[in-house]
Amino acid sequence: MSATIGTEELLRVLAPQVLGALVRRSGQFDTCEDAVQEALLAATLQWAEQGVPHDPRSWLHTVASRRLVDMWRSESARQRREETAAALEPADPAEPVDEDDTLRLLFLCCHPALSIPSQLALTLRAVGGLTTAEIAHAFLVPETTMAQRISRAKQKIKAAGLRFELPVEAERPERLRVVLHVLYLVFNEGYLATSGAAPHRRNLTAEAIRLTRLLHELAPGEAEVAGLLALLLLTDARRVARTDAAGWLVPLDEQDRALWNTSQIDEGIALVTRSLGSASVGPYQLQAAIAAVHVEAPTAKQTDWPQILALYGVLERVSPGPVVTLNRAVAVAMVHGPRAGLAVLGTLDTDARMAHTHRLDAVRAHLLELAGDSDAARLAYQRAARMTASIPEQRYLALRAAQLK
Amino acid sequence: MKYMIMMFGEAATMMETQPKEWIVKMIDFMTQLSQDLNDAGELVTAEGLADGTQAKTVTYRDGSTVVTDGPFAESKESVIGFWIVDVEGEARALEIATRVVDFTHGPIEVRPVMDAPPEV
Repeated sequence: MSATIGTEELLRVLAPQVLGALVRRSGQFDTCEDAVQEALLAATLQWAEQGVPHDPRSWLHTVASRRLVDMWRSESARQRREETAAALEPADPAEPVDEDDTLRLLFLCCHPALSIPSQLALTLRAVGGLTTAEIAHAFLVPETTMAQRISRAKQKIKAAGLRFELPVEAERPERLRVVLHVLYLVFNEGYLATSGAAPHRRNLTAEAIRLTRLLHELAPGEAEVAGLLALLLLTDARRVARTDAAGWLVPLDEQDRALWNTSQIDEGIALVTRSLGSASVGPYQLQAAIAAVHVEAPTAKQTDWPQILALYGVLERVSPGPVVTLNRAVAVAMVHGPRAGLAVLGTLDTDARMAHTHRLDAVRAHLLELAGDSDAARLAYQRAARMTASIPEQRYLALRAAQLK
Repeated sequence: MKYMIMMFGEAATMMETQPKEWIVKMIDFMTQLSQDLNDAGELVTAEGLADGTQAKTVTYRDGSTVVTDGPFAESKESVIGFWIVDVEGEARALEIATRVVDFTHGPIEVRPVMDAPPEV
């Protein structure tokens, strides 16, 4: 194993396995998590000098257990020293990996009692094996801020008595939905970053795909997990084509399709095709199916818009919301003409959830441009440019507006 | 010495009035400036803010706090972005600001950042 993958990659695969085994024995997530982070750090330093040990997982397990014992000893010095010391038998490193440990960790880190920023940070550290510094870089906040966020999240787990266990069957779909949402958000954080400027952020897309793939291996029967993995792969496949050399966003219909990653596309399409055969169809599968139709078209003009429109119709029934309606409006415009699309957009004008997003005006501008109404399109692009919080999008929208002068 | 170099609302208005070529040049200029400051080891941080129309203002009125939409100031007085630089002295901070104003023609405010934040 160690011969085929790099040390960093290896450590990140082993991190949740070692942490899971320790938490399962002791029930103390917070101290075990610290101990594993220290063991990972020790491994990074020592393995670089002395090479990867014969059984790297046992090595990590032993170092983390020792560190845990030290931590408990110093803590218990103030408490009942002897009694605690008796319970401090190091965990057995030869114990086989319990695959559900990683699942339990994911469910714990993505517990609905935690805030979304805490869920993201904790998942990346405990399950992804990233350091606090790496996570801080990725989210563009100071390391001390991220350390506090992680520390507070761990205190919350302790204070709320959240358990290291799989959710009961009745709660599983809702809990899984939260886990998938966290992975989706991690991906988006990286995907929305521009090329070149923020490599730390772009690593988040790879990490989100890695963790979703891991979850898919652990829960192969969950169609929505397969759906999310397919969606992330099909979206990420277009990443290189999404910006030009100068860092400008390139819309889907103008992208150079030869730049798309065909192996990710093949994998994504195979996943979505398989998962769509399952009994219930969820929003991630449907979004992946839509992404698949887009990438299957050899040119933008050959896109099967009626098929996309039909899929948005299903998505709107399964998971209604203003963003789905917004996207369906584009499909309506492509099938029935821009004026028909604009009529669908009109239904969102009074939707309070759309009042503070630039997306409604951005789509309206695009459809007005297609309809040949340049003046109205320019004003809508300008409104959208003022509303977006994304610099690349602001630049793109300002440029579209300027082109219509 | 640390300085905050602040840019005001005109940039958004300019994006709406200037031709496409100017917008492309402006963005190249900003990218190059960040790169230069970073290479010189002078850049502490830089952020662009969303348009002033997206802001909320919290005020204290008649014994309670009130949240209202938008800033009170005219949008041209509203900060839309800033750099914090760590430079030799004021002359260098003003040199950086001058380079920006030469390009944008909009006003820039340069203010020293006070030393030693309070201990936490």
